[in-house]
Amino acid sequence: MDFELTPEEKAFQKELCEFLDKECNENVVAETLSMQGAGPYSKELIRKMGARRLLAPRWPVEYGGRAMGAMAEAIKVDEIISHHAPFPLDGVEIGNALLINGNEEQKKRFLPGVASGEIDIALGYTEPNAGSDVASVQLRAVEDGDHFILNGQKIYNSEAHVCEYHWLLTRTDPTAEKKHRGLSMFIVDLKSPGITIRPLYTMAGLRTNEVFYEDVQVPKENLVGEKNGGWVVIMSALYGGGGGGGLATGTKKVIDTLVKYVLEEKQDADENPWVPETMADIYIKTRIGELMGLQATAFADLGVTPLYGGGAMASRLLSGDTRRLLYNTAMQILGPYSQLAKDSKWAPLKGEILREYMDAPRWTIVHGSQEIQKLLIATRGLGLPRK
Amino acid sequence: MDPRLSEEQEILRKSARDFLTEKCPKSLVREMEKDEKGYSPELWKEIADLGWMGLVFPEKYGGGGMSFLDLAILLEEMGRACFPGPFFSTVVLGGLPILYIGTDEQKEKYLPEIINGKAIFAMALTEADGTYNASSVKVKANADNGNYVINGTKLFIHDAYVADYFICVARTDDKAKDEDGITIFIVDAQSPGISITVLDTIARDKQCEVVFDNVKVPKENILGKLNQGWSEVQKIIERAAIAKCCEMLGGMEAVLDMTVAYVKERIQFDVPVGVFQAIQHHCVYMLLEVEGSRAGTYDAAWRISTGRPYSDEAAITKAWVSDAYQRVVALGTQSHGGVSIMEDHDLPRYFRRAKAAELLFGDARFHRKTVARKLGFKLA
Repeated sequence: MDFELTPEEKAFQKELCEFLDKECNENVVAETLSMQGAGPYSKELIRKMGARRLLAPRWPVEYGGRAMGAMAEAIKVDEIISHHAPFPLDGVEIGNALLINGNEEQKKRFLPGVASGEIDIALGYTEPNAGSDVASVQLRAVEDGDHFILNGQKIYNSEAHVCEYHWLLTRTDPTAEKKHRGLSMFIVDLKSPGITIRPLYTMAGLRTNEVFYEDVQVPKENLVGEKNGGWVVIMSALYGGGGGGGLATGTKKVIDTLVKYVLEEKQDADENPWVPETMADIYIKTRIGELMGLQATAFADLGVTPLYGGGAMASRLLSGDTRRLLYNTAMQILGPYSQLAKDSKWAPLKGEILREYMDAPRWTIVHGSQEIQKLLIATRGLGLPRK
Repeated sequence: MDPRLSEEQEILRKSARDFLTEKCPKSLVREMEKDEKGYSPELWKEIADLGWMGLVFPEKYGGGGMSFLDLAILLEEMGRACFPGPFFSTVVLGGLPILYIGTDEQKEKYLPEIINGKAIFAMALTEADGTYNASSVKVKANADNGNYVINGTKLFIHDAYVADYFICVARTDDKAKDEDGITIFIVDAQSPGISITVLDTIARDKQCEVVFDNVKVPKENILGKLNQGWSEVQKIIERAAIAKCCEMLGGMEAVLDMTVAYVKERIQFDVPVGVFQAIQHHCVYMLLEVEGSRAGTYDAAWRISTGRPYSDEAAITKAWVSDAYQRVVALGTQSHGGVSIMEDHDLPRYFRRAKAAELLFGDARFHRKTVARKLGFKLA
């Protein structure tokens, strides 16, 4: 038993942290906090990270990675979030599935570009009638000579407006007896004629998109995996990565900032005894979630199934709940000032708390809602019956 | 990072579980709850022969020379089995402090007795206010011709009734600050002037009132340094908190396992109740509590084992695990339904122990205050 990062992982963490300390300047941070998608400063930073092989540490060296493990990926995500560098970089996550399901030509065509930061790929799963029930997608792909012709609509595809490609789940067989047997995965050039991207905004002001496909021609070589074999691909993308979570440096920074604010600016802790205890509770939940995620990631790297499956997902459940608790508590600590938008001269802590409070519910919904995670933990981790 | 147990540790776990499954069934646990002594001397001798008492002590005293992490595995299995007896008091609260701060003479005298199962220890720390603060220690030990005389009442002392020795925490200088006048003594339980009353407690775990009435203790029985005992007492409490979390983790796992097994079998509305998402979500949150407890507990135990600081981890882990065990027994009971609130069911064994363990070595609130102080809040 050993709970230290390896020397190689520590060196990677240090290298990335020092790089971002220097290169993730206020222009990049402003773009990240605006939540409008990766802007020009962010894209420049991503390319610089790519040039140093900092974007896809898990990938083989030949595709621009460092051949490290899920732990390096967790370190990367942690440093990016805690520096307010551009995130998500869905192209890397998608690349993990491409590594498993793509053919050699596809890997050579897309992976080096993602790893170098030249291209990014947006997730294209969700539709108006296919959210958690992702196997219900209806966007239709019809084989036509060398091409497939695509028609339909996706929704909540964040970053699609700043990405070069779309990782698109489509329906190729509407008559399949089981609906998940009639799906196919494509990588689509988002500049293809017939694609229209329209903005949608969350209540926190985060830009996402709906994407319309109207008679869009996609070459057959852009089909990933088998025709009607899309379910296998999406499963490996959603759940096959294993681990990749854990570290919570960003959350701990927020806790530190809040404690400092309470001690220096706001209220005497003695008059508000709930503040120290609640902040301690949040810190404890953050740290336990961090340890759970780290250990699940380490198990994934070792290729070992721990005593109970589902530890990685359980840590996500906990961190999602803790995020809501953290920002709700922060709003209560700031009192009436917490309501002020960031441009107000009265807004404390640059209005950041309000933005995060409004954004917190997103984290318990995106990339598999908590309810789907619970279903998977119950049935896969604990072996409870589905019927 | 490698969260796996070693091969030897897996063997230790399996042999401990197999042994306890055979020798410590719930029927024995129930019997011992009613038993005057609270433990089976035969079983006690057997685990001494297996080397459990000596596991964590150096070979030169007859021990197994293994680490705190190995002890953690054993404690987890004992928690799973609801093991009755003074193992925790003797090894964690008696032997380890002697190993860490005892003189060579003390180690040579007491450790072999602990290892071979001859000596039972109890820690006489808490008093009337039931807390773990320095100011709570009011029992006095006054110097008397080079020796000490102890007077006062200790409360909630586990296994005192069967102990051969006490690790007694007493005030030797009442003019100094709360933290500065405390000394630890090893007291022979047969000394004249000690009277013990067993308390009837929720877990029926033989907590006692111990009255010291002019109990004479030779000065060579001071454990550690005169008047400087409190920092060591804090370490004992932190270490014990982590060790108790190991037991609690084992108990939680048992409750999760029995609940998952039951909801797969229990038929209502013509299906196993485990089909219902209401029940599934109960089980998922139980798993979350268990896995969080394991992550924190083993990280902390590993830190003790490898000589790293563990003070922060003790507070974080005991706070989490104290709440977690409560939630696990609550959700386990709810998932089982009526059968599990019957006294002869196994679940009440854990329900009782979850509360007793929560209250030991600082409950969640106590440790959250500690964490709050570490975050920078100025709390009394």
